[in-house]
Amino acid sequence: MAPRLRFFLRGLFRRRHFEGAMSDELQFHIDAFTEDLVRSGVPRVEAVRRAQLEFGGVESVKEQCRQSHGLRLADELRQDLRYAVRTMARTPVVTAAVIVSLALGIGANTALFGFIDAVFFRTVPVRNAHELLFLAHHSGPAASSNYPLYERYAAVEPFAGVTAYLVGSFRVEQAGGVEPVTGQFVSGNYHDVAGVPMTLGRGFSSEPDRDPSRALVAVISDAFWARAFGRDPHAVGRTITVNGRRVEIVGITGRRFYGFDSQSRVDITLPISVIGLDDPAFFDDHTGWMPLRLVARLKPGITEAQALAAADNAFQQFMGEPEQQWVRQSPNADRFRSAAFLPAARGSDGRRELTEKPVRLLVAMAGILLLIACANVANLLLVRGASRRKEVAVRAAIGAGRARLIRQFATEGLLLALCGGLVGLPVATWTSRAILSILDGGPTPFVLDVTLDARALAFTTVIAALTGISFTLVPALRATAGSVALVTALRPSESTLPRRRFPAGGHVLVSSQIALCVVLLVSSGLLARSLRNLKTLDAGFDRDQVVLANVDTSGPEFSPGRRMTLYDTLLDRLRFLPGAVSVASSTRTPIDFSSRNNRIVVHGVNPVGFHAVSPNVVTPEYFRTLGIRLLRGRVFGDDARADRPKVAVVSESMARFYFGDEDPIGRTFALGSEDSITIVGVVEDVRHEQLTESTPPKMVYTPLAQSTVPRGVTVMVRAAGNSRALEGAIRAEIRRLDPGAMVSYVRTMDQQLDAALARERLLAVLSSGFSALALLLACVGLYGTLSYSVVRRAREIGVRMALGAGSATVLRQIMRQSLMMVATGALIGGVLSLWVSRALSAFLFELSARDPATLTAVITLLLVTACAAGYVPARRAARVDPARVLKAE
Amino acid sequence: MGTTADLLPGTLDMLILKAVSLKPLHGYGVLLRIQQISGNALAIPQGSLYPALYRLERQGLIDAEWGESENARRAKYYRVTTAGRRRLKDEVAGWKRLTGAIDAALAATPDEV
Repeated sequence: MAPRLRFFLRGLFRRRHFEGAMSDELQFHIDAFTEDLVRSGVPRVEAVRRAQLEFGGVESVKEQCRQSHGLRLADELRQDLRYAVRTMARTPVVTAAVIVSLALGIGANTALFGFIDAVFFRTVPVRNAHELLFLAHHSGPAASSNYPLYERYAAVEPFAGVTAYLVGSFRVEQAGGVEPVTGQFVSGNYHDVAGVPMTLGRGFSSEPDRDPSRALVAVISDAFWARAFGRDPHAVGRTITVNGRRVEIVGITGRRFYGFDSQSRVDITLPISVIGLDDPAFFDDHTGWMPLRLVARLKPGITEAQALAAADNAFQQFMGEPEQQWVRQSPNADRFRSAAFLPAARGSDGRRELTEKPVRLLVAMAGILLLIACANVANLLLVRGASRRKEVAVRAAIGAGRARLIRQFATEGLLLALCGGLVGLPVATWTSRAILSILDGGPTPFVLDVTLDARALAFTTVIAALTGISFTLVPALRATAGSVALVTALRPSESTLPRRRFPAGGHVLVSSQIALCVVLLVSSGLLARSLRNLKTLDAGFDRDQVVLANVDTSGPEFSPGRRMTLYDTLLDRLRFLPGAVSVASSTRTPIDFSSRNNRIVVHGVNPVGFHAVSPNVVTPEYFRTLGIRLLRGRVFGDDARADRPKVAVVSESMARFYFGDEDPIGRTFALGSEDSITIVGVVEDVRHEQLTESTPPKMVYTPLAQSTVPRGVTVMVRAAGNSRALEGAIRAEIRRLDPGAMVSYVRTMDQQLDAALARERLLAVLSSGFSALALLLACVGLYGTLSYSVVRRAREIGVRMALGAGSATVLRQIMRQSLMMVATGALIGGVLSLWVSRALSAFLFELSARDPATLTAVITLLLVTACAAGYVPARRAARVDPARVLKAE
Repeated sequence: MGTTADLLPGTLDMLILKAVSLKPLHGYGVLLRIQQISGNALAIPQGSLYPALYRLERQGLIDAEWGESENARRAKYYRVTTAGRRRLKDEVAGWKRLTGAIDAALAATPDEV
């Protein structure tokens, strides 16, 4: 098999070389024979003659050699290719239309493939990733644990190794100030157990985690190495300041390794022993449960069931201890029932759950787009195939077999498809960039490596080849079907053409394109309207022209006094920024992806069970800055000082829940460690955690001046004009006041909301893009079919015009045809989309999946566009000159 | 010329394999070698040799390499491959079975019928 393929390819591409070698070889034979004859006494002239005679005709031997070398196929393929290129060049418009159609279809699909590959299939690039398992319990992938439990698991016999990591945000000193960098604390054996590839240096050596003497080391990611050190090969051994400590870089991990957490891209890894420097109790804290993730590698030959039994044994023992009694009695006890394994080869899968449904929807849409593109190509080739009957008949008459002719068509199809695939690659790159830019900054940042790699290329090649073959087969079979007598085919009249108005199939293809197009348009219309509903939703606050900046002061170098000074002076400074209307700070802002609950006991209200409210610590101007309306009482003012009685403002929902119709003003409650807080005002409800939440959270706002100083606040500025101009000024102000404070982010409230709508925006934008392309493709298809029909019926039209039909009549007639096709498609598409859109309802916000307005708009848009596409060929028909057409006969 | 026999169809491949299995040879050398080992008893049309060589090469039974001939000219040398050796063994066995059977058949006397 292998040598055959090699010879075939050599015959295809190194033909000249082959021919030269063959001539040399045969000439050598004849020469050697001649020499032997001369040596045996034959005169040279006679020897030459005899050698040639006995050898036989050199050319015929060569031809036989070529055949036995399997060159005929290669030769024919070369012929076919040359012919295909010539055909394509002869009809550049059709060729371009086909290639562009395919490029769009294939490009969209390749981009989505890359996306899906990155989300669902790519494994973490470590040694034997499939051997790795997450140790979880019944709370699912986000299982919490603690260091003592980790030590128990580490001692379990069937594991070759168990390691632990804890992802968090690190404060890293860089040239521009302190920057947030995603990092992780890992157990000392992490790089060993996980088999992490290293670009430079080493991973952590397996030192005991409890010994902090060698804790001040770090491993950085390849990306951070590029960003912070410009890939300086001497970066290993240098120090960086992380969380206020100088640590030495000992290694750089391999490209594409960013840890096991698919929702974050770990850039800096510190040994877990560094936690012991701040909190020596960490390693013995049995009662705290944190997102410390445990990854185990099975010993070879051990089954998962055996390992799980052993792990569960250790887990049950741990949970049976007196320290865990509160967990066993907590409402969440069920989540700690038994140990469980989850595959770790592809990292933790929080993101997969979140993206699976929208991605499926997009894949379906991209598939439809590809179908439309294929229909288009088939249509255009069908039209061209019909006009090539003459050529086919001639070739058949001079001896080309049907198989050979079909192969010719298939070659053309493949060539077109490959061209389409090639042009589709930039389309794919562009689409995946669009996907990423839309998803960037969402609640779960999409840290994807959506580069087009060999897999995506292979995928493109396969779909290109499949489409190529499938869309050429029909036209090829049709064009070669039945033996058209050469004489008939060569007659210049219309009788060579099938007696239908349209090339059969063309009609059906256009209608089905339109139908699919309607489905896409309706879907994208619904998604876009749903997005608009979300964007214009009254969330209870005024989202425009507010800039938010998060200041993080969680470092150990910050005392409460230093924090408070920073917060206070910062607000004072920001007030004087040009364009600042009002300024406030708070621990949380609406839709900032935070979720918090505090236990509340309202005095005088029957405490039934455990009650929780959503707390926020704010400065007095918070409500004015975000435009949250006051409904009753007052907003706390500058009187809310630490030495005064504690006060709070509550949300409407909170007041209604606890007090019903009674006046909440003056009532008191206990929150967290505060025993008595008096309600002074009620404000409007705000959607705080999710835009789509149906019941607004019960908010309790307490003054910043009366609470323990938080380790970070978000300052916000309402701007009079362009809010974006303020962003740089705010950042600079924070830097100037306290260079040790870290600015986690500066963004407008609008951006914050957009990020929360990333999924919806992705769906709306991509589906709109897809359906716009689909509409374009369908129009090309319609245009092509009509143009062809007009050209073929030129004689008939000419006759009718000669008999007195006006050009308006002809125009009307062609337009009617066009509308018939469109109407049929639209009708089928409308029915289909009613059925399909049910799948969409999960994605729609305050919108029916059968929204009549959307359907009407789509049909109108389609009719208008289709009329435009049909008008051009119709007008051409109306301008047919009867005299010229009839003379051509 | 004397007494030469025509080749039976299909036997040329076997003879070429046999020839190149003894020592790598160029095309002309294959011809000479077959004549030599058959005691000049077989008549091989020279032109038919090359299509057979090209076919065997394509089937992966022999390998070709350019080298230098005895009279210092560039020549293409053929060498048997492992697959070729295996094929030769099969063909020889088949040939022996065939000739044995035919011999036996031809040696039959009226008594044995």
